[in-house]
Amino acid sequence: MSTPLLEIRGLSKRFGGLVAVDDVNFCIAPGETLGLIGPNGAGKTTLINLISGSVTPTTGEILFEGRSITSASAFRRARQGIGRTFQIMKPFPGLSVLDNVAVGALFGTSTTAKALRVAREEAREWLELMDLSRHADQRADELGGPDRKRLELAKAIAMKPKLLLLDEVMAGLNHVEIDDVIEAIRKVRSTGISVLVIEHVIKAVQSLADRLLVLHHGKQIIEGAPDAVLADPRVIEAYLGRRRA
Amino acid sequence: MTPKLKVALAVAVTCALASLPWLASATILQFSISTLLLATLAQGWNIIGGYTGYASFGNSVFFGLGSYGTAIAMVQWHLPFGVGLVFGAVLAVVFALVLGIPVLRLRGHYFAIATLALSQVMTAIVSNLEIAGRNTGLVLPLLNGDPLFYELSLALLVLATLTVFWIAHSRFGFGLIAIRENEDAAASMGINTTLYKVLAFAISGIFSALAGGIHAYWITFIDPVSAFDLSLNVKMIIMTVFGGPASILGPVVGAFVLSGISEILSSAISSVASLFFGAVIIVAVVFMPRGLADVLRRFRKTGWRYFSENVKKYRL
Repeated sequence: MSTPLLEIRGLSKRFGGLVAVDDVNFCIAPGETLGLIGPNGAGKTTLINLISGSVTPTTGEILFEGRSITSASAFRRARQGIGRTFQIMKPFPGLSVLDNVAVGALFGTSTTAKALRVAREEAREWLELMDLSRHADQRADELGGPDRKRLELAKAIAMKPKLLLLDEVMAGLNHVEIDDVIEAIRKVRSTGISVLVIEHVIKAVQSLADRLLVLHHGKQIIEGAPDAVLADPRVIEAYLGRRRA
Repeated sequence: MTPKLKVALAVAVTCALASLPWLASATILQFSISTLLLATLAQGWNIIGGYTGYASFGNSVFFGLGSYGTAIAMVQWHLPFGVGLVFGAVLAVVFALVLGIPVLRLRGHYFAIATLALSQVMTAIVSNLEIAGRNTGLVLPLLNGDPLFYELSLALLVLATLTVFWIAHSRFGFGLIAIRENEDAAASMGINTTLYKVLAFAISGIFSALAGGIHAYWITFIDPVSAFDLSLNVKMIIMTVFGGPASILGPVVGAFVLSGISEILSSAISSVASLFFGAVIIVAVVFMPRGLADVLRRFRKTGWRYFSENVKKYRL
């Protein structure tokens, strides 16, 4: 088997007395989409923060393309190819939609200092892909809900990452909008990058993920093919309580 | 306007300004020198405050370091003025690196308060340094050459403005703006936020220090309280915000307009001048909180509605 793109070994994060992530181990292969689900407070966002580098782990190791990035700062990981979206979206509010995406093209994994003009041209292509072209010159804080999600995606893919971490991009969207964003993520995935997707909307993870990983109270309780995982009594118990299972 | 026309206009305006010493009276020349230095300071603040979004109250420290660097080099070590200027700038860079790294970890009000404290601390430190003349300060050699100081100040302002122009059109500047808009997002997109912030602080500091050096040699006397005067920092902020933060010419226009108003007021109605000055600033904040540069950009589209919209938008 080839080296996994991302390998998590015995990763734990403790906040005072609370163990948010408890001895988690998994891999993501190049091109694979892994779905991460779990009830509220299961440690999903903390896990993404650990991988993207905004939080440092208490114990354990994170390997990216076979090299340890456990102590690397967030911006270095971004340069090596880890892009992310935020559950609470973080656009650059005062910049135009186009320039928001241009930041990703200008920095991200690009190693050569390119001209602003070139970055904006690239950004236009990503906006095209995310169906945002008509909003290019609007300020980012003028965008509505689903468009903001698409912008968050466009910013992340403009970095040309190898691994994309998606933190609940579907939250707060209606069914039609969810289908739109699933379609957008499919487009992202078709460019060959690996995706780690956190989602409460089961329909979304089911249709996107190759594999599912379930977290409960910081511990991973099961990992495997989506349909098998979702039918597992432990998963139903975690979500619905013991009596229903 | 085409880019070529803009460049031509900028060169013409600069040449016209450069010819002032042959046309103006001694009083106007003196007023112009201090205005040019203020504009340079505002432009320097624009880099850290306007583009990077860090409201620095430490720029008066850079000004003081530049003043003292130049004065110490000239008075104590008998070095030429040019060397003094460079020494002052080096002090500013060292200060930006050593204190910028910890202080720039703070955000928003906390950063402002920490830098505020720095200027107070620097006054106390310098007042106790033998080499800086303790409380009494230093007297620099006298040079009667206002035209020279004027041209020097103008050259420095042009250099500062060109630097801001470069920042506004570069990858570096784009990174600074991203940090201002959302620092966490900027880091997650691959921007080395610590390095960028410290560089912006240092560049901002270099211009303040150079202005301080020229000012010290021009007025020939410095003491700790006036060299590290916090109200100078407040002026930089007011002028930048009035003219338009994160714009290329905003701080320069802001400095020229406000210096002019304040000069006219203080000669016409000296006792209540600062009251009027305060009123001008309140009106500016209420009706054009994004500065003159934004008024010029948007007034054509929206007309007089621009002002009422601002009042509504910012709930004032």
